[in-house]
Amino acid sequence: MRRLALAALAVVALLAVAGGLLAPHDPLAQDPDLALHAPTWAHPFGTDYLGRDVFSRLLAGTGTTVAAAVESVGVGLLLGVVPGLASLWLGRGVEWVLLRAVDALMTLPFIVFAVAVTGILGNGLTQAMIAIGMLFAPLFFRVTRAAGLALTRAQYVEAAELFGASRSRILRTHVWGKVLPTVAVTAAQATGGALLAVSSLSFLGIGVQPPAPTWGGVLASDLGFLAQQPWAPVIPAALIALTVAALNTLADDRGTLRVAR
Amino acid sequence: MTTLLDRPQAPARAPAPAPARPRRRRGRIGALATPVVVFLFSSLLTFGLGALSPSNPAAAVLGETATPADIARMNHEFGLDRPFLVQYLDWLGSALTGDLGRSYFTTIPVADSIFAALPVDLALAVLAVLLAVLLGGSAGIGAALRRGGRLDRAVTVVASALGTLPPFVVGIGLVVIFSVLLKVLPAGGYVGLEHGLLPWLRFAILPALALSLDIAASIARQLRTSLVAQLGENYVTGAVVRGLGARRVLFRHALRNAIGPAVTVLGIGVPIVLGGAVVTEKIFNLPGVAQLTLQAAAQHDVPLIQGTLLVTVTVVLLCNTLVNMALLRLTPQGRRS
Amino acid sequence: MNSSVDLSRRSFLGLGAALSAATLLAACGDGTTGPGTAGGAGGTLKWGWALPTSWDPVTSSAGWDVHVLSLVYAGLTKLDEQGTAVAALATGWKYNDDGTEVTFTLRPGLTFSDGTPLDAAAVKKSLERGRDFPKSLVGPQLVNVKEIAAPDSGTVIIRLGVPDFQIPNLLAGKTGMIVSPAAFTTAPDALATKPVGAGPFTLTSYTQNAKAVLARNPAYWDAASIKLQGFEAYPLPEAATVVAALQSGQYDVAQIPGSQVEAARAAGLQVQVIPSLVVATLDVNIGKKPFDDPKVVEALHYAVDRAALLKTAQFGHGEVTYQPFPKGYAGYNPALDGIFAYQPDKAKQLLAESSYQGAPVELVITTTPAAAGGAEQLQSQLQAAGFKPTIEVIPQTQFTQLVYVQHSRALSVDQFAGRDSAVQAFQVLFGKEGLMNPGRVQPPELADALAKVSRTPLNDPKYASVLQEATAIAVRTMPNVFLYTVPRILARRGGVSAIPEFTAVQRFEGVTVS
Repeated sequence: MRRLALAALAVVALLAVAGGLLAPHDPLAQDPDLALHAPTWAHPFGTDYLGRDVFSRLLAGTGTTVAAAVESVGVGLLLGVVPGLASLWLGRGVEWVLLRAVDALMTLPFIVFAVAVTGILGNGLTQAMIAIGMLFAPLFFRVTRAAGLALTRAQYVEAAELFGASRSRILRTHVWGKVLPTVAVTAAQATGGALLAVSSLSFLGIGVQPPAPTWGGVLASDLGFLAQQPWAPVIPAALIALTVAALNTLADDRGTLRVAR
Repeated sequence: MTTLLDRPQAPARAPAPAPARPRRRRGRIGALATPVVVFLFSSLLTFGLGALSPSNPAAAVLGETATPADIARMNHEFGLDRPFLVQYLDWLGSALTGDLGRSYFTTIPVADSIFAALPVDLALAVLAVLLAVLLGGSAGIGAALRRGGRLDRAVTVVASALGTLPPFVVGIGLVVIFSVLLKVLPAGGYVGLEHGLLPWLRFAILPALALSLDIAASIARQLRTSLVAQLGENYVTGAVVRGLGARRVLFRHALRNAIGPAVTVLGIGVPIVLGGAVVTEKIFNLPGVAQLTLQAAAQHDVPLIQGTLLVTVTVVLLCNTLVNMALLRLTPQGRRS
Repeated sequence: MNSSVDLSRRSFLGLGAALSAATLLAACGDGTTGPGTAGGAGGTLKWGWALPTSWDPVTSSAGWDVHVLSLVYAGLTKLDEQGTAVAALATGWKYNDDGTEVTFTLRPGLTFSDGTPLDAAAVKKSLERGRDFPKSLVGPQLVNVKEIAAPDSGTVIIRLGVPDFQIPNLLAGKTGMIVSPAAFTTAPDALATKPVGAGPFTLTSYTQNAKAVLARNPAYWDAASIKLQGFEAYPLPEAATVVAALQSGQYDVAQIPGSQVEAARAAGLQVQVIPSLVVATLDVNIGKKPFDDPKVVEALHYAVDRAALLKTAQFGHGEVTYQPFPKGYAGYNPALDGIFAYQPDKAKQLLAESSYQGAPVELVITTTPAAAGGAEQLQSQLQAAGFKPTIEVIPQTQFTQLVYVQHSRALSVDQFAGRDSAVQAFQVLFGKEGLMNPGRVQPPELADALAKVSRTPLNDPKYASVLQEATAIAVRTMPNVFLYTVPRILARRGGVSAIPEFTAVQRFEGVTVS
């Protein structure tokens, strides 16, 4: 299963980098006469309401889609891991404040928060992804803290402290090496969540600015023409679902954790 | 389907969301203080977000006719010319007495709009959670009892697949199946509980199902995993050897020990229902709080955005606190500590 | 501005603040009902449309609110099918010779739904509130009203600053809806959810974003024409599910997008494509690059393939147009047909002759989420003609602020909702202070032509030609690009009688549900 997941993700990564080059048509080229056309050899996934090639749009849209998901996970990592470690070593006061802040963030529902943020700060993919990223922070905070907490009590770290190793050295050599794998696994999972969040926001009209294609955008636009092409949403939905499934498989698989370590 | 902040299967997730340490140290007062402090943090975040907004009530309300003098006057009228902290405390103070200000646009009190919409979400959330427990619980128990069997594999596959689909696909899929193809349920709209249980159920069941599937999948997975572990424990084997009925062992002992993680999932479930509601309410055209947020966001109606967020946060906090209390009572580990 | 409900999947509910005046009132032609017809036996109609931003006509901020508001309010006048003002609460009116004073005669014995009398004093107070209330969004249309007098309970005299024969038309819309003074003096904020007017129905219960329940108002001046006993208004669902919602009986009548017409017919629903005054437009700011160069503006007019835009946006329902008025309206000038027919080569040629000398002309197309699909198509068309366009999608309110208030956008995808009076329409589109004239420039010849329209009584035989002359000058001299008409497409289930087809406000006189 893990191999299959890894292979799927490798394909997605390849498309993210080179999808635009592999696309047989210009993903933005319109042909109103061909609008909402069923699949043909030239257009294997049919065309959308502006007569654009859906296959090319999905290929070319992989980059933006993946980048958006990675962006939010990056924000979450930054806002989660650093305070997570800080909470362990910067004393009770900092720890208390950080824990409450994390609890506060956890009370905010994802999409509602992203909608509110874009409503207030303006509609854009970056704003939406930062909002989503902020809400990933507690996840990374807790994971980092849990892994770190176990370590601060581990005997060999205590021993290192006794032998006079500096805190930063302990952090670097011992803690980092242990925390990182867990964080990596969590990141895989968060990326899947972010992908779903991006597509939900596209459905609500928040995030990506047209005409740039994204998976969620293609899916959302297909749903507006169910009467003409009831089969169309299946393709982008399957693409999203398979990628998320691959990421989840990777995160759930205990082997991954071992390999990462 | 719903994107969650903490996916329940997250490897290192602590079982109970609220940290236990301060509670042990400071007892009851601490247990009550934590949600209060968290509420203060969340409300500050919510209010701060609004203060960052570039939109201004005069421009919003008066539209094309706004002059600089109008803007200054409106800023004063809405108290926006005061220091941030004063505005925040004033807002929070009023909020605690049930006054969330007035919408920039409709001048309808924000609290009125929210409390007209909130029952929709609460009724839906309760139904969704019930469905989730029913579907997830039976699937999880079934899978654990028939470990490795066809049912087990089917539950695993369906539960995993549900977690990979964008929520609006699930929602529209349900509409296509039940409203367009089978024509048994309405495609959207809402009738309040005050019109009777059955009429309400007719409109509520599809959206509630759409909201519940994700949580049901999580519950099924959690319950299966912990039940399988429990059923392998010595005390279960022992009890069966001693001649206790399998059913009795399952419900009296194993399930009780396995239920902790599942209840935790439920605690996360309510916020998910409220969060996922944005998409569900849009698809099914439900007059809930999330629809209000979406509309407010489109209009840059800051008081309404702040109000909906604050109420959502409060409901989530209440649920978390309730679930924590339930966990303490339900599970042996909880009672011991 | 979007005046019709936008059904696009990604449309937000709140369409815009400054739609204030975007309204028209049409009415059932006189004589649709025989005298003495008993009303109220026609059942309850469930209408999928949109709920208003506010039930107070003075602060309601969306153009399409007028449709629901005219269920509970009535004005001195209403518009007939051709957009001509006819009697409503007033039995008639009379202008003085120079067009600076108009005297309305009220029907006797009128009452508001709260039971208070609707007399001349009430009309005066209601109109003055529209003009003077600080939060009023209809105020700008009443600035020419210098004084309102009520010499006796049945006579209202309106005195104007400059001659204007279009006041009866103006008062047929949201601007002229008469609100009970008892309601707005005691609790002005309550009007937002509890309207008190003298329309065909009264609001009995209202849940924001969910449902408005209305009951027949037996005291309405034309109550005999109202067959429906009750009325329920709902917001619309997703485009993907609207047909299913009609089939399941959740609505009796609902607006559907062009893309759903076939599906609705296939599902056995009756579909009516009703011509409306709504026109899709591009707002062009000649104060902004690249449109500070007249050659570029001209090129833009020829670079747009209106027929292709119409086909995509509305599946062909509607008509390509080059002017703000639809066929059949007094101001429609047939000489303008095809004036800017699609000629990408000519557009290229004009760009080459412009100060850009054939270099790519960069510009930003500003749109709301609802119209983003059309903007993408427009982008592709402009690109083919030598422009280098990018798209900016902003929420409706921000659109209002940036396009209408700050005039900071060069090119915006928009819709013009039509107006109750032709002069008002010209002011919005082409006036120096006009919402849809972000360049704030009006050629003197157009101003002269407009003043002439205002001075011409509507029953003057020359009125139509004077108005059409102004239309021609406006279309030739102003930068606004008109694209296509936007019909109101209604689907109804069996058992609902045909909906009267009025170009302006949807009214329900004579409609029954079984």
